[in-house]
Amino acid sequence: MDAFLQGLALVFNFQTLLVIAGAAIFGVFVGAVPGLTATMAVALLVPITFYMDPTPAIAAIVTTSAMAIFAGDIPGTYLNIPGTPASAAYVGESHQLARQGRARETLGTNLVCSMFGGLFGTLVLVFVSPSLAEVALKFSSFEYFWLALLGLSCSIFISIGSKTKAFLSLLVGLLLSTVGLDMMSGAPRFTFGIPDLMAGVNFIPVMIGMFALNELMMFYGSRNEGRNVPAVHKDEVFSSVPKHLKRYWRNLLRGSSTGTLIGALPGAGADIAAWISYAMGKSRSKNRDAYGTGHIEGIVDASSANNSGISGAWVPALVFGIPGDSITAIVIGVLYMKGMNPGPTIFMDGGGLIYALFIVFFIANLIMLPIGYIAIRSAKVFILTPRKILMPIILCFCIVGAFAINNTITDVWIMLITGSVAFILARNDFPMAPAILGLVLGGTLENNFMSSMLKSNGDLLSFFSRPISASLGAMVILIWFLPLFIRLYRRYRGAPQSPRTP
Amino acid sequence: MKDFLLGLAFMAAGAIVYLVAQQFPTMPSLQYGPSLFPSLIGGGFMIGGLILAISHVGALKGIGHGMTWRMEREQLRNTLLSLLPALAIVFYILTSEWLGALLSLALVMFVLMLARRTPPLLALGVSLVAALIVDLLFSRYLLIPLPEGLMSIWG
Repeated sequence: MDAFLQGLALVFNFQTLLVIAGAAIFGVFVGAVPGLTATMAVALLVPITFYMDPTPAIAAIVTTSAMAIFAGDIPGTYLNIPGTPASAAYVGESHQLARQGRARETLGTNLVCSMFGGLFGTLVLVFVSPSLAEVALKFSSFEYFWLALLGLSCSIFISIGSKTKAFLSLLVGLLLSTVGLDMMSGAPRFTFGIPDLMAGVNFIPVMIGMFALNELMMFYGSRNEGRNVPAVHKDEVFSSVPKHLKRYWRNLLRGSSTGTLIGALPGAGADIAAWISYAMGKSRSKNRDAYGTGHIEGIVDASSANNSGISGAWVPALVFGIPGDSITAIVIGVLYMKGMNPGPTIFMDGGGLIYALFIVFFIANLIMLPIGYIAIRSAKVFILTPRKILMPIILCFCIVGAFAINNTITDVWIMLITGSVAFILARNDFPMAPAILGLVLGGTLENNFMSSMLKSNGDLLSFFSRPISASLGAMVILIWFLPLFIRLYRRYRGAPQSPRTP
Repeated sequence: MKDFLLGLAFMAAGAIVYLVAQQFPTMPSLQYGPSLFPSLIGGGFMIGGLILAISHVGALKGIGHGMTWRMEREQLRNTLLSLLPALAIVFYILTSEWLGALLSLALVMFVLMLARRTPPLLALGVSLVAALIVDLLFSRYLLIPLPEGLMSIWG
């Protein structure tokens, strides 16, 4: 109880509440401007949170990401351009509704579903994480090795598009994680004689490069300014929401639970949660034909899923230190910087920090309602912000933000190089999430492998000698061979139906 | 075609990573040394690159059958324009020490805004104000030692 009261005191003070309000407005702005993603917003925020206390720093990140994911629906509805990738799944649906003059009604439903999804994911986070943490206390280097490998494997197999490209993207991140002094021998690796690289590649300049500089380069390489607002609105924000929720409450619950589950899988973020929930909603709907013509049902599923995915991603991040998506990958670094080492002990340390984090999640999702309402009413201001003026300012924040981490120009070079590589890869449909996971989990994977080898005198079979370790190992192997099994199963099922040639 | 070339690039990068990793020192007490993970990564690059190249080898056949792979003028222009932010960062790195962060940032923003046809007066005003805000926020509020350069004359 004392820890809970301490948590309340950490959140309900002027500084933290001010940071939450500021982060909410920043999140709406970034989410609502097409081309600026929630991950980019968080990456840009990190250099500033570096100088804050742990609670306001985490509050800023949680609020910004939740608000940005909702606000991504605003340009999606009015312009048919998703503000963030998480809104892409149902952008056609919401834009069709806007063309019918129902933009505000659509966004009002989006807003309430986003809030519900976020709160649902938070409840799962609050109730599931402490129990999982008790299990995780029994973990040793063997289990953490498999867990890291499980996360990395999931990031490949869950990614949309070519698995080979996801694999190569993951290796890029893993390679970056090997830069610096080797943990066991102290030998420098890929440091090229640069003293700043001895401690390894700082992940924040990499994040800024991969998510902000990459987007900036994409913007300058296109001519799309996206400034016309063709749709007119004659409706009210919340007047039809109760009717929709009463009709589609099953979709709301299904979207929220699917989103939380997918968010918790490493490598799968809010965007994949939205795509899968939209597809699930469509396949189970009685009005399947209405999808794509402006049908609110699809929006209920997907918009609750993307926000619940944001909360769900925090479960593995807090309990095991394995990020659920790109945003929590950044958060893990911030937690380390703030002395809140992610892992099961975070729940045992006391001091109210973990309660403060849970409370922040509730506030971030509740504040979405009033600020989201204002954002919907003043949508034009956000979507008409000229990107040709905004983007150069963001570039300056990227430069100074990367520099501010260690006060060294090496980090600006790292941001430039990784951003340029990410630009080439992203333009050729390489997913970026595996690279980030590789960078964050690479050290965990290698260090736990080496520690395990030292403990077992180099016996590789020791990875299967403990029950939990063996189960996790079996899961990893199953994930690797799953595509093969599915292919064989399909061939087996498909064989009798295939036309026989004489 | 691009994927085929990227596959080859990954294979080359993998070979380099693998060769560099073989030069890392090993310790007799450790069965697996610092070269293990980089070697595996290098090997992974080579295998992944090979799969990517092989799966797009059809693009080469197309060229062999008279198709040409040429970048269109518009495409080339867009690719060059996309390099602008990267060049702006290089400019900042090279000039911020003697020009100062404030002026370098203002110049970077001004040029980038002009590149997207922002009216010059508006671009100048926004660049100066934004550079001042960024400089104040990071140097004065967050106490980041941004280079002062020419601005140090004013103390």
